[in-house]
Amino acid sequence: MPALRLSGVRRNFGDTMAVDAVDLSVAQGEVLCLLGPSGCGKTTLLRLIGGYLTPDAGTVAVGGVDVTALPLESRDIGMVFQSFALFPHMSARENVAFGLMARGVARSERERRTEAMLERVGLGLALRNRRPRALSGGEQQRVALARALVIEPKLLLLDEPMASLDRRLRESMRQELKALHGRTHVSTILVTHDQEDALFLADRIAIMASGRLLQVGTPDALYLHPVSAQVARLLGDANILEVEAVAAGRARLAGGLSMPLSGFDAIALGDDVLIRPEHLVVALGSGTMGRSEPRETARATVTSIAYLGADCVAELRAGDGTVLRTRVRADLLRRMRVGDVVGLQVESGRGSQLSVRGAAKGAALQGSPMSALPRRQLMDNDKTAADMRTVSDA
Amino acid sequence: MPERVPTGSHRSAGSAGSAQRGWLLSMPGLAFLAVFFALPLLVLLRVSLYQSGGRSGLGMGGGFYTPGTWSLDAYRGLFEDAYFIDVLRFTIAFGLQAALCAVLIGFVLALLISRLHGWKRLLALAAIFLPKLANVLVMVYGLQLLLGDHGPVNQLLTPFHAGSAPLALLHNYPGALIGEVYLILPYAVLLLVATLDRIDPLLRPAARGLGAGAVRTWVRVTLPLALPGLSTTFALCTVFAFGAFVAPYILGSPDQFTLSIDIQRQAFENSNWPRAAAEAVMMLCALSVMGLLFQSSRGLTRSMRGDGPRS
Repeated sequence: MPALRLSGVRRNFGDTMAVDAVDLSVAQGEVLCLLGPSGCGKTTLLRLIGGYLTPDAGTVAVGGVDVTALPLESRDIGMVFQSFALFPHMSARENVAFGLMARGVARSERERRTEAMLERVGLGLALRNRRPRALSGGEQQRVALARALVIEPKLLLLDEPMASLDRRLRESMRQELKALHGRTHVSTILVTHDQEDALFLADRIAIMASGRLLQVGTPDALYLHPVSAQVARLLGDANILEVEAVAAGRARLAGGLSMPLSGFDAIALGDDVLIRPEHLVVALGSGTMGRSEPRETARATVTSIAYLGADCVAELRAGDGTVLRTRVRADLLRRMRVGDVVGLQVESGRGSQLSVRGAAKGAALQGSPMSALPRRQLMDNDKTAADMRTVSDA
Repeated sequence: MPERVPTGSHRSAGSAGSAQRGWLLSMPGLAFLAVFFALPLLVLLRVSLYQSGGRSGLGMGGGFYTPGTWSLDAYRGLFEDAYFIDVLRFTIAFGLQAALCAVLIGFVLALLISRLHGWKRLLALAAIFLPKLANVLVMVYGLQLLLGDHGPVNQLLTPFHAGSAPLALLHNYPGALIGEVYLILPYAVLLLVATLDRIDPLLRPAARGLGAGAVRTWVRVTLPLALPGLSTTFALCTVFAFGAFVAPYILGSPDQFTLSIDIQRQAFENSNWPRAAAEAVMMLCALSVMGLLFQSSRGLTRSMRGDGPRS
């Protein structure tokens, strides 16, 4: 039985369709990440699940029980708001105990569980009597998490929980959230616009845009095989290149790159292919600098190089004007300069078809189980994939 | 600001200079206060220390006070006069009761208004505040029409007390109270709407999501967060109602005469300016005492709700 199942959930705000016919299910103990640009409806969807909004259509089922018509207070869903929404007139301890008090848990039991949960989220003893105003952002987040978890919710909802933290705190909170989930195993839905949060924390990621789910799948499936350019760009850097010619078992892409056709179901002129920057291999002069032996090489001029520590990202312009981005080890910097002409190859076995523009659209595409990774097919029918995963988990 | 790097001495010289400049900048304000607040207050104090009777300082025949005298007779007279003590006691009680009614009614209205948005909220606030644009006398005479024995209020209430006499709502205590509450209610509503607006709108849903019902959410979240605003509003309304004049004068009877009414009568009916001034000074003193009491009670509640260790 899935922890959560949404069927045809829809919600309008005036004329805008904030959430449009969303079907989604979350397995017991799973962490699902709703990822999308701001205004895509992900927070609205989260509030519909939590009962803070009612859907115009569709059903929300938690643990197999339809809760669509159930009021907020009887849903047993824990929520951490983006602003944390801690009660300013209560201490950290009282904030956490509030949900237990509302449930009529006896005082001694309440105190025991409150202290245990505050211990679990790592809020020091000295801080527990402080009001939220006297706590730092990270500490407030711990209190908010403890408040949501102490009621032992059937589902934990996190609305951009890391948005108000600085980068370093963010990374450590990410680790702690993961560790916390490892101990509680509570089914979790996390809303974020930060792809790093999503890739790090999620068992599955659901990509949202304009109120619709574009794709649902495991982080690596979505990263390597997104269904569209939009999804590809939401998860990391992307070269999206059109197929310009198909001949002799190879496809020639914009920018003069080339890749073998083997492994693709159907590829035709005008299709878009995704090549992640780290899958473009740079060849300097005569020698090959990459990890595999190239068969065909495109030539491009380096226009800029950004140093990122371990890696660097170089932007290049191919002969036909196509802009390409490649991510290479930083030690290459010493031998590559802006203005150099270098060779570029697609690392063998890499590249993913994004869309089919021909008339055969849809017919050529088949969904496949998530377990068949790595694979090169398009994941169009991800609802099926998600459901299959759910069934196998149950 | 100087362009040089400020050393210690420079900085202290600079701050002394800016402190001087601060004084200079506040001079117009201070001058205004001196001329329009401090000076009249001093004149009031001086008048209260004259001997009553005699020829007026203005040279008119009536004799409001005796010029050139120094006397505490006016103050002595106050405390020997049981009528004044009665009036003072009534004024304080009346002020507190009017403020309490205004805060209670205002809180209900503010709770309703704070849930409205856009033009509906604007309309509601306008409906509450627009009557304030009319002259106070017009408003109070309007109330007189409404509250009379054959006025609309009694006509509306007829089905509930059929046969018996109409409710007496005019020229008595209820009349004075209704009038005063009506006059200060808009301020209470405005202050309380502002208070409720400052409460994070997510807190209520957050409490509901944690399993608290509507009542518990109200008692444990909305009310405690509105409490500071409620007490401030109560204090302000008390100050307003303490100076009540028009409503008790027109809608009440002589039993509802307040300090303000008595001051006016002493000054212009009894031609006893020292007495009127002394009453005004007493009124200021009473207000100051009430303000201090309010301040210390606030400090007390704050220390009671403080962040000290709790079980």
